[in-house]
Order: sequence, then C-alpha cells, then structure tokens
Amino acid sequence: MSFLGGAECSTAGNPLSQFSKHVQDDRTLQHDRLVGRGPGASMGGFRSTPASAPQDEMVNGFLHQNPNLPEIPLEQQAPLPHVHIDPNHAVHLHPQAATPMSPQASMEAAFNVPPGTQFSPEEFAKFQQMNATSTVAPSPAASVTTQPQAAMPMTMQPLAAPMYRPMMSHPMYQPMYGPQMMHMPQQPQQEVQGKGKERLVELDDSKWEEQFKQMELHDRQLREEEAAKTEEKDEAKAMEPELNKMDEQLHSETGYGDLESIWAGIQKEQEALRDLDDEENYVRFDNGSFDNTSWGINSGFGTGPIVEPYMFEQENIFQNEQNPFEEGLRIMREGGNLSLAALAFEAAVQKNPDHVEAWVHLGSAQAQNEKEEAAIRALEHALKIDPNNLDALMGLAVSYTNEGYDSVAYRTLERWLSVKYPQIIAPADVSAPAEMGFTDRAKLHERVTNLFLEAARLAPDGDHMDPDVQVGLGVLFYGAEEYDKAVDCFQAALHSSIQGSSNQREQVHLLWNRLGATLANSGRSEEAIAAYEKALAIHPNFVRARYNLGVSCINIGCHAEAAGHLLAALDMHKSVEKSFRDRARELLGVNKDDPSADARIEAMTTQNRSTTLYDTLRRVFTQMGRPDLAEKVVVGVDPDIFRGEFDF
Amino acid sequence: MSLKNDKFPASAAFDEINKALTASEATRKDAIKQGNAVFAFTLKNAAGETESWYIDLKNKGEVGKGLPEKPTVTLLLSDADFGALIAGKANAQKLFMSGKLKIKGDVMKATKLDPILKKAQTKAKL
Repeated sequence: MSFLGGAECSTAGNPLSQFSKHVQDDRTLQHDRLVGRGPGASMGGFRSTPASAPQDEMVNGFLHQNPNLPEIPLEQQAPLPHVHIDPNHAVHLHPQAATPMSPQASMEAAFNVPPGTQFSPEEFAKFQQMNATSTVAPSPAASVTTQPQAAMPMTMQPLAAPMYRPMMSHPMYQPMYGPQMMHMPQQPQQEVQGKGKERLVELDDSKWEEQFKQMELHDRQLREEEAAKTEEKDEAKAMEPELNKMDEQLHSETGYGDLESIWAGIQKEQEALRDLDDEENYVRFDNGSFDNTSWGINSGFGTGPIVEPYMFEQENIFQNEQNPFEEGLRIMREGGNLSLAALAFEAAVQKNPDHVEAWVHLGSAQAQNEKEEAAIRALEHALKIDPNNLDALMGLAVSYTNEGYDSVAYRTLERWLSVKYPQIIAPADVSAPAEMGFTDRAKLHERVTNLFLEAARLAPDGDHMDPDVQVGLGVLFYGAEEYDKAVDCFQAALHSSIQGSSNQREQVHLLWNRLGATLANSGRSEEAIAAYEKALAIHPNFVRARYNLGVSCINIGCHAEAAGHLLAALDMHKSVEKSFRDRARELLGVNKDDPSADARIEAMTTQNRSTTLYDTLRRVFTQMGRPDLAEKVVVGVDPDIFRGEFDF
Repeated sequence: MSLKNDKFPASAAFDEINKALTASEATRKDAIKQGNAVFAFTLKNAAGETESWYIDLKNKGEVGKGLPEKPTVTLLLSDADFGALIAGKANAQKLFMSGKLKIKGDVMKATKLDPILKKAQTKAKL
C-alpha cells in the first residue's frame, strides 16, 4: 500500500495515515453485528437515547483532528450528494454547506433528529473527498460487518474508519449501529418516512450504497483493484439475504412491533413478578442456588419411586395350568381379558421366578390393564434378572413417564439406548441415578434426546428407521410436552417398514394408543379418539385405550360417553374378579349367601388394583352435576350398579 | 368440609387431591411413602389476596387449609398458574424456569410434586 506509507505521503499530507490508526479499533463493528445482537443491544438504540454532550465532543473532536483536510465546498465534490438524498433533505444540505454552522446545529437542520446521533454533512463532505480511494463494496453493512478485518481490502479500511469511527468510539453508539444497519435494508422507504421518529432514512444502507457506487464510477484510477475485489463483493451480497433473514427472525422472536413495547412488556412482567414474591427467601430462577450441583448427588435411590416387590393375587386360576406362560401369550394374542392374561403370567413367574419374558409380559399386561404400579413392579423385577431387557426398559420408561417420574424415565431410556446402540452411548456412560432439580432434569432430557436423535440418524431413510428408537424419542418429546414432535415420532414408528418390537403385530395397538394419548394431551381430542378406536379395533379389551377414550370424551365435554367408557373399562377388571369369585366359592366350598365369605374373597382379589379409573369416574360424575353418583364410586364398586344410567 | 375457597377457583383441586388420597388406605400409604414431605402452597389470586393450603404426605396423608408448621417445601404461585398446573396445561418445571413458581425450602422435593399432581389430573396415558 504505497499511498499509506511512502515518503510522498507524510502524516500531514495524507489523511489516510491518520485513519489507518483507527483500523484496529474498528473491530467493535463486527462484534456488534454478530455477537451483540441480543435484546440489550436493541434496547440501547438511538431512538430512545437522549442527546449528550460527550457525543458532540466526539464529533467535534473528529472534525478538528484532521485540520489539514482541505475545506472543499460540498458542491465541488464529484458525485453530488443531494442527487441521492431525498429532496427535502437536500434542501437543507445546500445552504448548510455554503454557510458554515456548528456541526451540532447542522446535523439538526439536515436530519432533524436528536442531536449527537447523526453524521454531519461536513464530515460527510470530508469523507467524500477521499473518494480517491473509494473501493468500497456495494453493501457496506454486509461486508464491513461480516468479513474478518484481516480479509478486508486495505483500501477499504481507511474509508470504513472515518465513516464509523465517530460513532463507534463512544460506547453508546455501539448498540445503535447494529440494529440500524440491520433493520433499514428491509424497510420500504415510504413506510419509514411516514413515521415521525424514523426520519433517519438518509443513513439507510441503500442510500449509502448508491453513493458509493457513484463514487466508484468517478474513480477511474483504481479500477483494476476494484476488479480484484468483485469476488469479495459477491460474497458480501450473498451474505445479505441471510443476514436479513436473521434480522427478521430477531423481529419475529420478540413478537412486538417496536422496542418500546418490548421494554414496556418486560417492565410489566417484572412488576408482576415483584408483586408475586414479597418474601426474600424464595428460591428464584436467577439466583443460581438451585443449580448447585452438590445437591443430592449421592442420594442414589431417592429420586425414583420406591418400588416394592410384585404382589401376586393369592388365588390364581392358572395355578395348575401346565404352561401358564403360553396360555397368557394366547390370551394376549387373541385380545382376551388383560386381567386373565396377567393372572396367567403371574402363575408363570411363580412357577419359575427367573422367567424374564414372563415378567416382561406381566408388566406389559398390567400397564395395558391400566394398573401402572403393578406394571412398574413387574418390569423392575424383570430388570433385576436381566438388566438389559429392551422391552422391560422401554415399558418402564413409558410407565414412569405416565406416573410423573420424569427423570427416572429419561435415565431408563438412556439405558435402553446403551443396550441397543452401544456405539452411541456405552453402557458404562449412562447417567447415575441422582435426585434432580428442574434444571438438572432439563439437562438430562436434552442429553438423552440428543443421543436418541443420533441413533435415529443412523437409519438410511425415513422408511427404514428403527421404530423403537422413534418410540423412545416420542416418549422423550412427550415428557417435555413437545407433543407435535412426539406425534411425528409415533407416526414414523407406525409407518416404518422395519420390524421392531414396538410395531410388531402384538404391540401395534400400544403404538396407536400412544399416538392417541399424545394427540389428546396436545388438545387434539378428536384425532386422538380416532387413534384409540384403531387400538381398540385391534385389541377390544385394551383397558388403557378405553380409559383414554373416556378422558378424551371428558375433554370434549361428552361426559355421559366418558362415564360409559370408564365403566366399560372397570367392567373388564371386574368380570374376571367375578368369575374368579365364583370359582373361589367353589374352591372354598362356601355358601353363596354367606356374606363373610365374600369379604374374604374380596381381600384375595384386590392386590393389584388401579384407583385411576375410579378417580376419573368420580370426577366425571361430579362434572355432570351428579354428586349422588359420585358418592357411589368407591374403590372396588361393582360397575353394574350404574347400568341403568349408562350403556357400556 | 370443602377445602375450596371461592376466591381461588383453582383451589378446588385440593378437594380433588384429598379425595384421591382418602379413596383408600393403600393409596394414602403409598402416597406417603412416595412423597415423604409436606408440600405447602401459597396461591395468589387476581385480586392480590393470598391463601395457603398444604398436602401432608409425611405424617397423616391429608390435605388441609393454612400453612403447616414445618413444610418441607413451600410453593408460591398465582391461582391461574396453579389451575394450569393441575389441568396439566402447564408443568412445574416451565413455571419455575419462567419465574412464575417460587419455591422455598427443599427444591428437590418440588420435583416430586409431579406424581402427586398427576393424581388430580385427568390426563391420557401412553
């Protein structure tokens, strides 16, 4: 760069050497654009910034700093600035150039904005005068702010420096510049002019761009250099739409029209929060204390529910069955009564306590039978025998999610993944059980979700993805209440052409029910009901789907139908108990009319009972305005007493 | 006796939880075992009034009005947010993260609230 350093260019003679000093400082601009884009930066915008004396000093300081710049009137400049500036503003520019005013006054006159926030025309004139080196890229905003300083052409830096320096040198201007450069290019000019407070249009990028283009036209000497730089310009141009898009996002994220309303919104929210906590010692999100990792790390088992050993029914009609496990499988296959199936599997594990498959099927049957607690106990037992049983792990994760033990559910899914995809997470790396606060739980969720996503990406295409991974992902998204994503996952599992354990014929009704439950909890009850119907078409005795159907009916206000479904579900439980009771009577050889025998038998058949159905039914009756019926709903009540009122 | 306070519409949920707890002895014992804490709730309604309830899952397994002597954890939130929480439309974690739920006492215990609140919720199951 001979014109910067040569003997012919003394410090006094060449203004560029002055400017080159500031090149180092100019980085703030890049930082501002790419880093400091947060709401804080937007809020510091010049619109709400009051004029302050230091700024004026900066401007004056700048002007006096280069005394050896010749004072050439504006009109003598090769490209006439007013050609490119709005006529009404140009009117101001002319007289002003002729009659010297203080920079401050001229700014106000020319731009009619709060003082101290604008270029002065003089400054602009000086700046223009230097167009001997004007090889500025057509879009200064994009190029200056996105290219690393080192990559910038040297000839451009001197130009950029005087242009931005007065603004950047005061911290107040830093936030201002970013938003302005960002917003202006995408705003139509007329629209902007309409608003009183946005009369800064003449600083608009496109204006400057035109200006610079003009300068380029008049600048013959440096054509070659310019040609060398066209590549960079193109880059800058290509960058522009992307940046504009980012700006739009920035806008839409806030959801507010302008900065002031954002600020007002924040203020209001703060007010409300302050209002809420008058007591100092409440744990707040921002005081960081809850994030203390020393909390409960070694509490081991503390976080999950306390799982007790599985409780068997005392009398079991399958006790003397030759192969109760096969019998249970047959009942499940044929869509038979789930309570019966559970009894068959109970008999199987009583015969052979190490029969893992029987334990898993027992858990699965109890979960489908809307007896979550029994399911958890059975599945945990299965894992004691075989810690790597995939079906048991997945079933447990689902059950824990249903019961609200989210962190345990996430860890269980992690274990599942480590067994099936050890290449993604080694079994040794799974998270240790620990009591968790909200933040740790969110972190765990994110971690496990990412692992599952990684596993999902192993599949070559949508049709061949592992449906089980999709189910796991679905459960994870469901836990985080990201229902739309969960719906996608369950649907993907249903449509996958790869046979996994979750979409095999015996389990596909579970998948339909999971899809339905997710839809229901995201407020899409009608679609959910369609999914439940599919599940029930496959397995008519699927108590959980029937219960869920009842819940969806409640949600859409069909209380009578809801009660019908819930009673039907209860009846499925009860019918087995009844038939068993008859049999028990025979076994015990008691008189049918002896009430004390009934009580004894009752005690035998109530080991695994779900109160969910009763609770929900009671709620339905209350919502229907039938407290008389609600009173009658006690655990163990015979649904037959409601037959007159409801069809089921 | 109803635990509901008409000025706090969402407080009807305490009756729900109470019914669920007292439905059977086994349920109550189980809830005590799993919860093992006294949860106090201080709700604030739109008019700015506050009222407290508690769910004792440590000693008796009951729901009552007023602040208990030694709550394991106290949760402070608005009546509307509590209603959303009970309806399953909001979750405690998100309320907490956004500062709408304040917690005093053992924060870890607060995460155990989900299984208890599930008892009062009518929510579909996977």
